[in-house]
Amino acid sequence: MKFRDMLRMSGSSLWKRKVRTILTVLGVVIGTASIVVMISLGLGLSRASLAEIEQYGGITTITVEDQGSGGYMEEESSDSQAEDKHLNDDVIEEIRNIPHVEDVYGVLETEALAMCGGFQTYVSVRGVEPEKMDKLGITLAQGSFPEPDAGYLQAVYGNMIIGDFYNEKTGEGYWYNGELPDIDLMNDSIIFVFDMDSYYNFIWGGGESEDGSAPVMPKKRIIEAAGIMEGTVEDYGSNSYYVYFDINELKKILKKEYKNKAIPGQPTTSSGKPFKEIYYSSIMVNVDDMDYVQEVQNQITQLGYHASSNAEWVQSMQGQYFYIELALGGIGAVSLIVAAIGIANTMMMSIYERTKEIGIMKVLGCDMRNIQGMFLMEAGYIGFIGGALGILLSYTISFTINTVIKNLDLGMEMNMAVGISYIPLWLAGLALVFAVFVGMAAGFFPSLRAMKLSPLAAIRNE
Amino acid sequence: MSEKKKTVIRVEDLYKIYRVGESKVRALNGVSFTIEKGEFCAIVGTSGSGKSTLLNMLAGLEKPTKGQIVIAGEHMERKNENQLVKFRREHIGFIFQSFNLLPTMNALENIAMPLTFQGMDKETRLKKAEEVLALVGLTKHKNHKPTQMSGGQQQRVGIARALVVQPEIIFADEPTGNLDSKTSAEVMNLMKKVIKEKNQTLVMVTHDDHLASFADRIFRISDGKIVSIEYGSESGVDHIDTK
Repeated sequence: MKFRDMLRMSGSSLWKRKVRTILTVLGVVIGTASIVVMISLGLGLSRASLAEIEQYGGITTITVEDQGSGGYMEEESSDSQAEDKHLNDDVIEEIRNIPHVEDVYGVLETEALAMCGGFQTYVSVRGVEPEKMDKLGITLAQGSFPEPDAGYLQAVYGNMIIGDFYNEKTGEGYWYNGELPDIDLMNDSIIFVFDMDSYYNFIWGGGESEDGSAPVMPKKRIIEAAGIMEGTVEDYGSNSYYVYFDINELKKILKKEYKNKAIPGQPTTSSGKPFKEIYYSSIMVNVDDMDYVQEVQNQITQLGYHASSNAEWVQSMQGQYFYIELALGGIGAVSLIVAAIGIANTMMMSIYERTKEIGIMKVLGCDMRNIQGMFLMEAGYIGFIGGALGILLSYTISFTINTVIKNLDLGMEMNMAVGISYIPLWLAGLALVFAVFVGMAAGFFPSLRAMKLSPLAAIRNE
Repeated sequence: MSEKKKTVIRVEDLYKIYRVGESKVRALNGVSFTIEKGEFCAIVGTSGSGKSTLLNMLAGLEKPTKGQIVIAGEHMERKNENQLVKFRREHIGFIFQSFNLLPTMNALENIAMPLTFQGMDKETRLKKAEEVLALVGLTKHKNHKPTQMSGGQQQRVGIARALVVQPEIIFADEPTGNLDSKTSAEVMNLMKKVIKEKNQTLVMVTHDDHLASFADRIFRISDGKIVSIEYGSESGVDHIDTK
């Protein structure tokens, strides 16, 4: 018997008993939808937490820190080797040769004092090559990234910087009284002072600086803004607290500013003298895939540098969510099991009703396998239709949940912008296959029974 | 019938014994006969005589307790259920008392159904079905469902369904049992005419002596044994109209 004819015959016998078919299908719809929605919640949570990790410095990024300034490796920094291990372009080249490394770039980090119209704040300053800024995960709300080799400093402000400014006289700021200072970072002139030691020595008249000369007012630099990062003053991201500059311009300024003094954040010789070269504070390594982060990190560590990433965090987090998904899916599966029993029941009923029909077909020479096949197909049809409609229902429910949650604005820490319920295509596909499988499994014993029915029943059953 | 005689059914020493509680019921008690190609045979007997059991065993619907059934050169008693189904599909047509058409299908689809089981594609089988439908004179009713047809028409569809696979043998179990006498005569006439045209073998079971008289040969069966074999009127078609 042709497969197409079997499909047609089993389809038409389902169609003949519409109401019962619809009711049975409904059971599968609910069963499938409950599994899919449950798992989608687990996946959504897992995705939201990945997005959160992304904000805390990325999933595929490894940070290599200078051993001297890192703090973790104090005992090693006293090692005679340590001096050779400061981060410079040679190190970048060394790391770039590791497989799966996509990009490597250095970050220079120091401090400065920023002032504007009676407000001031200490800011952490970072220098990076402008074209690498978006690699750090910086997205701008206003302006643009600094032009490379502009010849002067252009600042990209973190979205939380504005909240750090406090009133010079009262000491009050946003975190104290909830009022944002009246500063437009884009257009107001912001004054930066890099050499803060000299600045305070001058202000408070400490008399003499370290080398005995009279205090000199360090240069106050009015710095033009290039852009401001996306996000409100309370949206934490790994870059929100930093002011970014073009690293080459920053190096020039720092060299001028500090001359022979140690730059804050830079390593020093064992006697406390600065090096001639300005080293990177850290090196960022982008790995091409999440799965290789740990491997690359291990290799960097073997080279003798201190590397850190979110890989372990991500791994343990994903492990946890896997079990959550499993548990949720299990709860959803209960209703699909109920639906499977419904399918089995429907198929049994159908066989009782169709004893005669089955008998006729057997007398007329329908293969036993074909008879079983047709009943299996009927059950599979129910599973398929129920599964397909169930997936549609799941998408609807998922969409509704996400919309409602977004509108509720629970103010949760977790990033809900991506939605709490997430149905990837593979989940939909898997659910459909599973529904068909469950349907056919439920129809298996009824189909066996149909196959074994005696053809004599047809003739006797007058 | 001038052509060379060829045995299509050979039954030897056939027994069927049912166990009812402690006692044994001999439904068939040593039956032997042969049927030749192109023959129209009737098995006549009262209810409980074993005639239906015999037919069921000939069609491979029941297993004999003892004995041999050789149809078209193949031993029926040695086949398992799958092989029997396959054999029926290829060599046997069946006409039922209660027609047993599938109510969801129209006349044409009902006739084409056995061809579906053979795996024939839709176009060819519908074409063949149409041919036999014309043979039984129901071309106008090809799209009618069984419920839209009279009993006689339904049985004619049943006959067409048995013919469509061009089987070696057609079995008919009380084919006119559910029809009035006028329609019965029409159906018998048709059956006889068609099988003679196609030179097919027909084995019919009935309790009605008059219907049996349409046959070339009549096996009278009683208490599981053949009691007599009679030859029917050679000009069967003529005397049908006398009824």
